[in-house]
Amino acid sequence: MSVIKVNELFEQNTPAELAEAYVFPVKLTKKQKEEAVAQLSEARAKLRKEITQEEVLSLKLMRFKLLLEKYIKSTEFKIDYSFGYFLSIYIDTIGKKRTEFADEIDIHETLLSQLINNKREPNESLMIRLEIHSNGTIPALDWLKLVEKKKENYISTDKEIRKVERQFVKNHLAVSF
Amino acid sequence: MSVYVIEPQTNQKHKADVLIVDSNDYKIITAKQFFFQWKKERAPAITYKLVILNEQLLGVISLIRYDSEYRIEIKLLAVSTDNKGKSKKYDRVAGCLIAFAASEALTLYGELGCVSLIPKTELKQHYIRQYGMIDAGWQLYLEGRQLLQLLKAYL
Repeated sequence: MSVIKVNELFEQNTPAELAEAYVFPVKLTKKQKEEAVAQLSEARAKLRKEITQEEVLSLKLMRFKLLLEKYIKSTEFKIDYSFGYFLSIYIDTIGKKRTEFADEIDIHETLLSQLINNKREPNESLMIRLEIHSNGTIPALDWLKLVEKKKENYISTDKEIRKVERQFVKNHLAVSF
Repeated sequence: MSVYVIEPQTNQKHKADVLIVDSNDYKIITAKQFFFQWKKERAPAITYKLVILNEQLLGVISLIRYDSEYRIEIKLLAVSTDNKGKSKKYDRVAGCLIAFAASEALTLYGELGCVSLIPKTELKQHYIRQYGMIDAGWQLYLEGRQLLQLLKAYL
């Protein structure tokens, strides 16, 4: 990349157009770099003092949403990343006690504990309640995809279930692909 | 992270993904199309691409993590030549890439996560206006409320 080329870009485009298309490399001197670090640190510290609890909750919830979506979208299956795991993270994210949360979505605390510990599978109404509880931020469909991801892995990899079910199949096709 | 770009001519939305660049991509990510010598980008910088469903590559960004500062720096960013200026094919490409950097900062560092860049002086006010960035002297940054607003606008 040459300086002339950058100049050409500035001649051919408005600054607004360039800001919507590029971040250019900017070289700072050692002194300028030190200033930049100090300025950013000071500005961030000031901003953190002004942040509200509501904003912190929104940021935490957005982080949870991004992490859940990232996992659902990935092709990788992680045994620990169960419905129960994400549910417990959700409760921690919003800073609720389990008893309080169980009450808010009108389920028994024992059921909540069973769900968190993967002793019970969630039904559709629970997923809808979770969507409503998050004010629509975490859609029921994301919870469903999480459950389905586990089922997909089980049905495509479990050898034991194949062994068990094989005895019930009296005949099978001679051809396969 | 899924984002979307808009075709200005039809106002149609197109789902887009941000993925890590692999060595084969450099056949497409040329200086002619993406202005910078992207192939020369080295660790610790990591380069990502914005692609739409037909795998058309619309933009590239390189990021550096500063874990001890809970910060990610945007080192370079470029949209393809088709996607800049008045006759651009898709809108929101750079914004989607900056939002990706913001999502990485938030998932890695939680509510303390920050995205920064060192702007060219002539473009500083435009980054502030376009992406809600905060002025910190030599650098611009997104954190807290502003970072969240950008994510909401581009997700």
